[in-house]
Amino acid sequence: MLTKILVVDDEPDLEIMISQKFRKQVRDQEMVFTFAKSGVEALQKLQEQRDTHVVLTDINMPEMDGLTLLAKVSEQFPLVKSVIVSAYGDMSNIRTALNRGAFDFVTKPIDFTDLETTLKKTIHEAHVFQRAAQEHDQLVAIQQELEVARQIQKSIVPRKFPPFPERQDFELYAEMIPARNVGGDFYDFFLIDDARLGFVIADVSGKGVPAALFMAVSKTLLKATALKGLPPDECLKEINRILFMESVSAMFVTVFYGILHTRTGAVDYCNGGHNPPYILRAGGRIETMGTTGGLVLAAMKNTAYKAQQINLHAGDGIFLYTDGVTEAMNRNNDQFSESRLEENLTHATGASLPEVVRQVMDAVNKFTNGAAQADDITILALRYLAK
Amino acid sequence: MEITQTLHGNLLILNLQGRVDAHTAKDFEAGLLPPIDRGQQQILVDCSRLDYISSAGLRVLLLAARKISAAGGKLALCSMKPSIKTVFDIAGFSSIFSIFAAPPEAITELTK
Repeated sequence: MLTKILVVDDEPDLEIMISQKFRKQVRDQEMVFTFAKSGVEALQKLQEQRDTHVVLTDINMPEMDGLTLLAKVSEQFPLVKSVIVSAYGDMSNIRTALNRGAFDFVTKPIDFTDLETTLKKTIHEAHVFQRAAQEHDQLVAIQQELEVARQIQKSIVPRKFPPFPERQDFELYAEMIPARNVGGDFYDFFLIDDARLGFVIADVSGKGVPAALFMAVSKTLLKATALKGLPPDECLKEINRILFMESVSAMFVTVFYGILHTRTGAVDYCNGGHNPPYILRAGGRIETMGTTGGLVLAAMKNTAYKAQQINLHAGDGIFLYTDGVTEAMNRNNDQFSESRLEENLTHATGASLPEVVRQVMDAVNKFTNGAAQADDITILALRYLAK
Repeated sequence: MEITQTLHGNLLILNLQGRVDAHTAKDFEAGLLPPIDRGQQQILVDCSRLDYISSAGLRVLLLAARKISAAGGKLALCSMKPSIKTVFDIAGFSSIFSIFAAPPEAITELTK
């Protein structure tokens, strides 16, 4: 790795010695030396060459001495490591230099072997230091990106419940707990017209800002297409075609889209690769909403989808979730699984929708018992009340 | 997650072991994509020792399938545990990937 070293001395001795002794390293492009004749000139050079690793400086110089320079270097260029050249036995200056942030020192007359060893050690330190700083910057950038992604996700889903307070014929409730560093779940619901309620749950594969943007595009596109009143299968086919063009590095999204006909209780739905939701019958029975093997969206350019229909009666509900629920893991890598979810849903008969959702969330929490949450956990529940 | 690679004539067999999730999908990608970029035309992903695959893992497979088919090659999977097969079924991936019960049938198909 190339190391850039700034040598500061008002007399020519150091420059001559370095030019001779480090000829090989310079020729092999291991080291590049720049020279300055005062502290002022040195600071100027450091300003111009921000990638300097090491400063080697004399103490006694006009304009600005080496000790003043040291203090300024530590303050303005914290990643640069300094080595001071002092008179032999000048402990007071050496002490001051070390206190002002010098990494090491060599004494006059300069012994070349000692200088070489000292520089080598300092260079190593400077590289370690700069690498750590770069990694830190990258981490900060990643964290900022994740925060942006989190904000997009948080602001995109409806959070006001009940969402349609004037409607007495159905209830809706949803909760989403985003994972710390993976995201992509969303849910949505909207009235297509007075007699049709559209509801969606989805999970984008991927993480960070790209996944969050893909999620935003998917959600907007889905709602816009759904509001045209298209049947669910045509709706998914249409948005798949568009999302496929938007997908980078094979990003895809699982989507379950249903339409509740509020006058009859009939539900038309289409499943694009999403975990099959459950029907919670008023009497306590649980049924799976059968899937027809529909492919996740944005995976293939042309995909056909099949719609299905079920009927809800007064008091029946639908429980939609993402795999963050069933694949939540405890410390033994056991998954919460469909069977635990079904067991919880069986016991939730008669509870209000927020209670049902809360009970499942609590059960997942109790099961994982503090193990890190690997994926977003999202639940959307609805209940048909008829009129 | 661990990947073991073996060459069977011109066929590259990748044996997956453990879990492919959001954290290990990168390793899976690093094992699967470079051979395709180098021109590998037939790849079999043996899932017999695969315990779990998340959507992050499915994304890598989809990416690999796109690349290899664009290059005129073939990718197949075999020996899935029922839990893995369920993940493929739900995502609809069973309809777009060639999945075989055991390696011999997959090898016959890939090398014909």
